[in-house]
Amino acid sequence: MIQFFRGIVPGVVTLLFCLVFFPLHLNATEAGEYIAIRKEGTGNVALVLDNLDGKGRKEMRFAQALDAAMHDGLDFTKLFALIPPPLNVKDNSDRKNVVLNFPALTSVGAEVYAGGVVTMKSDTIILDMKVYETAGSKLLMNKTYTGTEADLRSIGHAFCADLVELLTGKKSVFGSKIVFVSNKTGFKEIYACDFDGYGVKQLTNSRSISMNPALSPDGKHLAYIDFTSGRPTLYIRSLVDGGIAAVGKSAVSIDPGWRNNREVAATLSFDGNQEIYLVNINGTLSSRVTNSKSIDISPTFSPDGSKMAFVSSRNGLPQLFIQDIASGQVKRLTFSGRYNTQPSWSPVGDKIVYTTWEKNGEINIFTINADGSGLMQLTQKCGENKSPSWSPDGQMIVFTSNRQGKEKLYVMSSKGGDERLLLQVDGVQTQPSWSLFR
Amino acid sequence: MKTVKPLLRSLFIPTMLFLGACGCCEEVVVPPPPPPPPVVVLPGLGDVFYDFDRSELRADAVGQLRTNANWMAANTANVIVEGHCDERGTSEYNLALGERRANSARDYVINLGIAPARLKAVSYGEEKPFADGHTEEAWAENRRAHFVAE
Repeated sequence: MIQFFRGIVPGVVTLLFCLVFFPLHLNATEAGEYIAIRKEGTGNVALVLDNLDGKGRKEMRFAQALDAAMHDGLDFTKLFALIPPPLNVKDNSDRKNVVLNFPALTSVGAEVYAGGVVTMKSDTIILDMKVYETAGSKLLMNKTYTGTEADLRSIGHAFCADLVELLTGKKSVFGSKIVFVSNKTGFKEIYACDFDGYGVKQLTNSRSISMNPALSPDGKHLAYIDFTSGRPTLYIRSLVDGGIAAVGKSAVSIDPGWRNNREVAATLSFDGNQEIYLVNINGTLSSRVTNSKSIDISPTFSPDGSKMAFVSSRNGLPQLFIQDIASGQVKRLTFSGRYNTQPSWSPVGDKIVYTTWEKNGEINIFTINADGSGLMQLTQKCGENKSPSWSPDGQMIVFTSNRQGKEKLYVMSSKGGDERLLLQVDGVQTQPSWSLFR
Repeated sequence: MKTVKPLLRSLFIPTMLFLGACGCCEEVVVPPPPPPPPVVVLPGLGDVFYDFDRSELRADAVGQLRTNANWMAANTANVIVEGHCDERGTSEYNLALGERRANSARDYVINLGIAPARLKAVSYGEEKPFADGHTEEAWAENRRAHFVAE
């Protein structure tokens, strides 16, 4: 018994020593360690985003606009439980300095507090933001953002992006774009909007049929299919100088997918067979990837570009396959479901999202690991859900659904759930593709 | 004598009815149709239809494709064969399937002796349906190779 205590006492003493001198929150000297602590917890970060302060009337107006942009932005990510600030959050009882009331914050369950001040210097808006960990009253971040009145939304989102990166260790969706097809004008044209559906902008005006838009990883090029020439043709448009390259080969082009900033893959059938080729951004052919007599479509690449997932009917019904680009080796990925199409490879890992047309007529979204394990169904009992595409941080998926009648764009969590309409535009919206840049 | 009378009656009545009926027929006879015009018009280009998720030709497509080949032999116009699909499934796959439908119809007409350069195959997938609606009838209408003279 004494032996046992002799053994255990030093351990207990060491433990107590650690607890007294290195409390958990004090270890959080930098973002990296803070994230490590967060990962052990479950659920969302309990955040108080305090109303921004401002001295003058103009400052207060901008502060309110920034407040709204930041609240909406953080709410969109579903990473936070936003707690309203307690009334006594700021203590200025000594009439000189405003002191944050951390006990009040912890008592409402807040883990993180963010607040700031808006000031003006001629026409420049200056937003000073401070982020604290409430448990240790510790300043995690202190950063200044500037811009003009026209930039309010992006100023607010720049802070949101930093906050998400600070707390999750990953880049956020802020600043990313979604391209999609809409028939609002009576023709299928390509449009772009911000990650949250804001700022819809028409990109094509061919008054023909435009479809399958995809932005290059750096966002400088848009690849899409257009019927203006009388056949579905692959176009690569520079969004920097507006130059357009058409893949001049005859027959049809189908569904482009970017491998990197220089190469986009698409199905071309000029040699009589539908095969996937890599195409340079100037429209010239780089190389042929597939070789089968069947349908081969919808290329999507692993983050390092070494592997390609695609749809093939080489075994009869459409299924997903993965091809190693260097060796040419092909492996069948999906075995459940008789009609699996529309793969999209996660930009942050080894998951592939795709759709299955099921016997009951529904089209549902599934994810599967690149090694064929971990099959997971994300949608069910809500009609046809198509064209899934990952957010650049891999946290969300944009897709189309006809659950409320016409096909519209929706977003959901990458594990399913939190499904909501992305934007309210007339007509039918299809084929969304989320950018990798932000 | 008593037995002869019903016998005669039973013969007489059907005979009269028969003659009466013949008379009726003669009254509704219309003049014969005018002779067909001397110029023989070849039947025009027509479309062929496909089974669900298939691009192989159906047995009932052969007659129409022969007609289309004959029309092309008698005319100089080039022809575009558009492959179409019904709305079900996903649009990228349907674009591929539509091209295969157009190709199967085009290949058959080429095998009947039409120069390949005169037939161009394209696909519209599910983008340009002929029939609206979401019924099997509408879907069957929309799974087709559409022949258009250029």
